[in-house]
Amino acid sequence: MPSIDILPQLIVNGLIAGSIYALAASGFAIVYYVMKFQYFSHGAIMSIGAYLFFAFLNLMGLNYIAAGLLTIAGCIIATLLSNWFIYMPLRKRRATPTVTLIASIVLLILTSSLILAFFGSSTKTISLTKYNKTFDFGIFTITAIQISILIFAILLFLFLWFVFKKTKLGKSMRALADNKDVAQIVGINPEKIYNYTFVIAAVFGAVGGMLLGLEQNLYPRMGIPIIIKGFISSVVGGLGSVPGSIIGGLFIGLAENVGVLFLPTGYKDVISFSVLLLFLLFRPQGILGVKMRNV
Amino acid sequence: MLSLKNISKSFGGVKAVNKCTFAVEENTITSLIGPNGAGKTTVFNIISGLTKPDAGAIRLENKNITGMPAYKIAQNGISRTFQITKVFRNLTIRDNLRIAKNTNDDEMKKVLQSVYLEKSLDTIASELSYGQQRLLELARALLMPHTLVMLDEPTAGVNPRIRRELRQILKNLKRDGKTVLLIEHDMEFVMDISNRIVVLNEGKVLREGKPKDVVKDKRVLEAYLGK
Amino acid sequence: MYEYLIAVFAYIFIYIIIVVSLNLAFGFTGLVNLGHMAFFGVGAYTSALLTLHGTPWYIALPASGLVACTFGALIAAVTVRLKGDYFQIVTLGLAFIAIAVSRNWVSLTRGALGLPGVPDIIKNNFYYMLFLFAVAFLSVIFIYWLTNSEIGKIFQAIRDDETAAAILGKNTYFYKVLSITISTFFAGIAGSLFAHYINLIDPTIFDLEFFVIILAMLIVGGLASISGSISGVFFVSIFTTAMHFAFTSISPELIGAMRQMLLMLILLLILIFRPRGILGKVDV
Repeated sequence: MPSIDILPQLIVNGLIAGSIYALAASGFAIVYYVMKFQYFSHGAIMSIGAYLFFAFLNLMGLNYIAAGLLTIAGCIIATLLSNWFIYMPLRKRRATPTVTLIASIVLLILTSSLILAFFGSSTKTISLTKYNKTFDFGIFTITAIQISILIFAILLFLFLWFVFKKTKLGKSMRALADNKDVAQIVGINPEKIYNYTFVIAAVFGAVGGMLLGLEQNLYPRMGIPIIIKGFISSVVGGLGSVPGSIIGGLFIGLAENVGVLFLPTGYKDVISFSVLLLFLLFRPQGILGVKMRNV
Repeated sequence: MLSLKNISKSFGGVKAVNKCTFAVEENTITSLIGPNGAGKTTVFNIISGLTKPDAGAIRLENKNITGMPAYKIAQNGISRTFQITKVFRNLTIRDNLRIAKNTNDDEMKKVLQSVYLEKSLDTIASELSYGQQRLLELARALLMPHTLVMLDEPTAGVNPRIRRELRQILKNLKRDGKTVLLIEHDMEFVMDISNRIVVLNEGKVLREGKPKDVVKDKRVLEAYLGK
Repeated sequence: MYEYLIAVFAYIFIYIIIVVSLNLAFGFTGLVNLGHMAFFGVGAYTSALLTLHGTPWYIALPASGLVACTFGALIAAVTVRLKGDYFQIVTLGLAFIAIAVSRNWVSLTRGALGLPGVPDIIKNNFYYMLFLFAVAFLSVIFIYWLTNSEIGKIFQAIRDDETAAAILGKNTYFYKVLSITISTFFAGIAGSLFAHYINLIDPTIFDLEFFVIILAMLIVGGLASISGSISGVFFVSIFTTAMHFAFTSISPELIGAMRQMLLMLILLLILIFRPRGILGKVDV
């Protein structure tokens, strides 16, 4: 068993991984919260974010700010297209959340094939990683990219909190989430709010995807494992809750990394799924407790 | 035949049913009336086992059925319909009835006739009009072997013709000596058909008795018309 | 070419068992078991492990079904009581957990390396294909009989309105667990047959991509229809085979990607515009 003095490093690693999971989870959760379906195609948006950033930065040689902004724009467009061509028609025909969930998984897989067709199956690396300085703080080390992950995550979560609590949009989102019919009676236009919800999720997806691409490498299927982690984080935090998804993401990230102190090596991957199993069996309402009623 | 003693149920701090006590005699039509939100449907849900009471007891012919699961209560002979019709939409009339009782076409046709539903057994339930679905739900409830049938606002939301048919069906049930517990808002009809009336208000039984006595009760009038 | 056709049909018969058994739970009972392939995989691994350790196939095959349905029954027993959404979430979680377990429980499954050298039931591919046809035929006949029996009607009543089924005296909890148990039994059988066909079992059988193809077969064919499921399997298989021969000049990797993209598009179109699929009796 590794010694306890690597604990600070493990905690730092856990927070970094957890931040990316939380970015994946919050995009998933915000759509679930407002629109009541499991938004698995958020993983597709994240992978699009990673590949767009790679394309703008490496293939087109833009600077990282331009590339970043264009990536966010691209993800917003992709998300709105998915709403326009898939989710809105499904809502029009009053599809069940199950059907929408299936459609989102189909979209996720369709995107991975699309990426493979466009970019090929070989793993890609984003060139910024060449400039990745490492900072040594004695009890732990951290890279520049990892610091930016933490900073962006915090900024985005603050932004989300601000939107939810302090803006009219946030109020409308909460009203719709609470009771769609009553919200409409007081003049809230659901489709307009859904578009804004998707845009917010798209921003999270774009940033999350870019950071994921910087931290790990890019491959066409990359959206699938990350949204699975996002799903797990949401369930663990509490499926109807956006703050829950953030807490869940951080919890899973920390559990995975700190867990290596207590488990034999090679079991890191099992941790998140074991946590999922435990929660599904014993606390399905998650950490923050969203009620699951009896039939 | 059926007796409720001190049945109480709260939902998130609101007492929907408060120490409710009344009885349903065999071979009678008992109407459960009261203003909206009085707790009538909750009482139905408790009797049929869909909701568990917080306190109190229910006896069916001297058997304690309090807290029994819904399917067991049904097997003990309590049959019911719902305010918003619950037919099996994708099944045929035949299959809808088959769930109630696995019997032959002739018996099924007889019960359909008794509710004035003239449709082939092979018709899919979703093809029926809302009123016809109500009749099917009623036929289903009557077909299931039972000693008590509970009808929750059987005439709600149907056109006048179906409403007349439903009233006739209830008159037929009375003529045949059936035991019925009925939630109904149409006072004229309630007065006409009921052997006994139970008035519920804010979850409590306000008055129980013969129609002509209940309708003269000051408290009943206040509850319905306001002070 | 001849060998190729045998392979196509062998897969078709295995898929028929998977899709028809999923339809039993999903289309007929309304239980959305998104982890159906986890039970398929459990059956595959069970049969592989048993036969690799000397168990004869005629014991391993039913054992695979039994192991799979025991898990199915246990999970159903715990989860079907709660709100409909929850069952979906748990089974989806199970699908993901199966991936992790198969990759990491190396002492049992050899992880990503998988279990190679799974013995054949019948060495000759043609005769094995006939054997697969026989098992598929028997499975379909059984499930068809079941769905038309009183139990099958109760399953469908539960799907349409569980509360109404309960107040008509049906123990809906029992029937829901029964539906999942039978459904996962056949999934396990299919897994075993699959393992003894391709002779290698690894964690990729739990991949989402495989499950989505099964879903495509189910949804394109239509819910609550046995003939629908069979049609769905044929449709997707013919489509996939046709794509294989259509674009011979493009790299195989690209063909695979295009095949998947087109199939996903077809599935999305069905979900949006024709939720009944080809022969379905209910909308998805």
